[in-house]
Amino acid sequence: MTNYIIRRLLLNVLVLWLVATMVFLGTHALPSDFAQKRIASTMTGASQTEAIELARKELGLDKPLWRQYLSFMGELSRGDLGHSYESKLSTWTEVGRRVTTTLELGIMTLLISFAISIPIGIISAVKQNTWIDYLLRGVAILGVAMPVFVVAIFLSLAVVKFDLFQIDVLGRPHFWTDPVKAFQLYIVPAIAGGIAGGAGIMRILRSQMLEVMRQDYIRTARSKGLRDDSVWIRHALKNAMLPVITVMGLTISGLVGGQIILETMFNIDGMGRFLFARLNLRDFPPFQGTVIIICFVLVTVNLIVDIIYAWLDPRIRLT
Amino acid sequence: MSQIEAANPLAAGGLQFERRRKFRRAMRQTLLMANRNKLGAFGVILVIFILGIALFAPWIQRYDDLEQFQTANPRFNPTANPLDIAQDPDIGAPFTLDRWENPLSSKHWLGTDSYGRDIYARVISGARLAVIIGVGASIFAVITGTLVGLISGYFAGKLDLFTQRVVDAIQAFPGLVLLMLIVSVMDQPSLFLTVLALGFLGFAVSVRIVRSSVLTVSQSAFVEAARSYGAGDWRIMMRHVLPNVLASVLIVFSISIGAYILAEASLSFLGLGPADKTTWGKMVNSGRVALDLHPWESVISGSAITLAVLGFNLAGDAIRDELDPRLRGR
Repeated sequence: MTNYIIRRLLLNVLVLWLVATMVFLGTHALPSDFAQKRIASTMTGASQTEAIELARKELGLDKPLWRQYLSFMGELSRGDLGHSYESKLSTWTEVGRRVTTTLELGIMTLLISFAISIPIGIISAVKQNTWIDYLLRGVAILGVAMPVFVVAIFLSLAVVKFDLFQIDVLGRPHFWTDPVKAFQLYIVPAIAGGIAGGAGIMRILRSQMLEVMRQDYIRTARSKGLRDDSVWIRHALKNAMLPVITVMGLTISGLVGGQIILETMFNIDGMGRFLFARLNLRDFPPFQGTVIIICFVLVTVNLIVDIIYAWLDPRIRLT
Repeated sequence: MSQIEAANPLAAGGLQFERRRKFRRAMRQTLLMANRNKLGAFGVILVIFILGIALFAPWIQRYDDLEQFQTANPRFNPTANPLDIAQDPDIGAPFTLDRWENPLSSKHWLGTDSYGRDIYARVISGARLAVIIGVGASIFAVITGTLVGLISGYFAGKLDLFTQRVVDAIQAFPGLVLLMLIVSVMDQPSLFLTVLALGFLGFAVSVRIVRSSVLTVSQSAFVEAARSYGAGDWRIMMRHVLPNVLASVLIVFSISIGAYILAEASLSFLGLGPADKTTWGKMVNSGRVALDLHPWESVISGSAITLAVLGFNLAGDAIRDELDPRLRGR
């Protein structure tokens, strides 16, 4: 087991290094940089090119690519993710400001996706091939096909139409400062993201439930006189959840994309919107830093999931 | 053959009969398949419908998707001086844009958008773009992915290890971030670049699936046999391994078209879609400016995305189920 974890950790370090290299090369392959984007909008003529050159020198963008790469990697290995060209704040500070907002929305999205998918997955499996199964599966298939922003638009139309509450809450409250307002702000994007994530979970859970329900131990449980719901929850669901846990990494990875779209759409100042805005401004260090942080989290989640899985199912460890 | 047919009319009739019988058998099998997998059949019908729209878009579009409709301004006063116009802006312009015309009129079947452009024409031309992007990205992903997956799985060893780590790294990125980064290579992303970016994302998935098929096929006896009579690596790969992984290749091709259309819609929605082209994602976004009063543009284009992705997903699932029964129902 220790061997397995060490091997996986080393592999993850390698993957993260590749990710950092890719994001570095990717950003530096872009035709325009921050100096150009910023100064082109304020100056014209000969003074413009001069100013761009000056700004490049100041930001270190005039050095050869390999020097920039080495210093980038050197800083990265010390845990320094660079400073924003625009605000001059360090990436850690910028991300730290927004991480709670993103986590609030992300955790709420994840909870909603589970709250939607687990009951629906169970019902759809135990009522296999009845009208309710067809209906729920239809909803899930539709949920996979609908982009998050379309779901969000339909939801906000419904909220506005029935005059339920104000979506665009001023002041961007947190759950611990003003829970009601925060709930109103986050609920529409969270449901939109939750449907997209939950639909995938539901399909896997359903097929796993069907598989598990055919096993001998389910028949045993039934034959010793357990109630149906007890068989479904305590015996079937527990075993069917394992593969669902393994796709958690994928679910969360999909969530990140949704988060970028939804935060931008609803003007929520989280990491997703920050990331998108930094790329548009060509403000490389915070963009690279945020991407590396996100990938680090995803890779770590995957590792934890795999360790839990190997711990729960000893057969995995051998392969 | 034509000589025989000419000499013996009976034989020609027999041939025709044979052909008709084959056609009937194919039809019957198709119907059986459709009956077995009703959802898949629905998906295939949707896909055919969308492909039809995409193919015939210029003929059924009615108007150009970029044409801005306007009407003569009855209150236009050509002799008005700037001071008058400042007081009453209505008299300044000779034409006014037909903004936000209601849907279901005979002139604009689905109404007009905030720039006075016909929404029906835009949805139809958006279908063509969605198909080009989805299918184009899938073709790119499958060709590159199959080639790399084939080589990586066949030769295994260090090369395979390296390829797998690169694929890991690509997949460690959240897809949308990678797409955003790639299309930003141009300030105004072209259609080709969009297809390339989506295809690159799909490349990683294709490599992974094709490689795992190649790994099993490479172990089989007929590859061993081919090697024993002296066939070269290239010949074994092309003549023996590739035909046996074609099922996976076809699955990869058909199953991800919907995902590409979805991803492109997200890019377009964020304003990173192909420049100067009408896409559904852009329409959803541009409809948001007046969502409370004129929700039609966003609702119609959003439904179009959903329908197209739904069709391609269901058809892809059906193709996978037919080709690989092990995966059925997953």
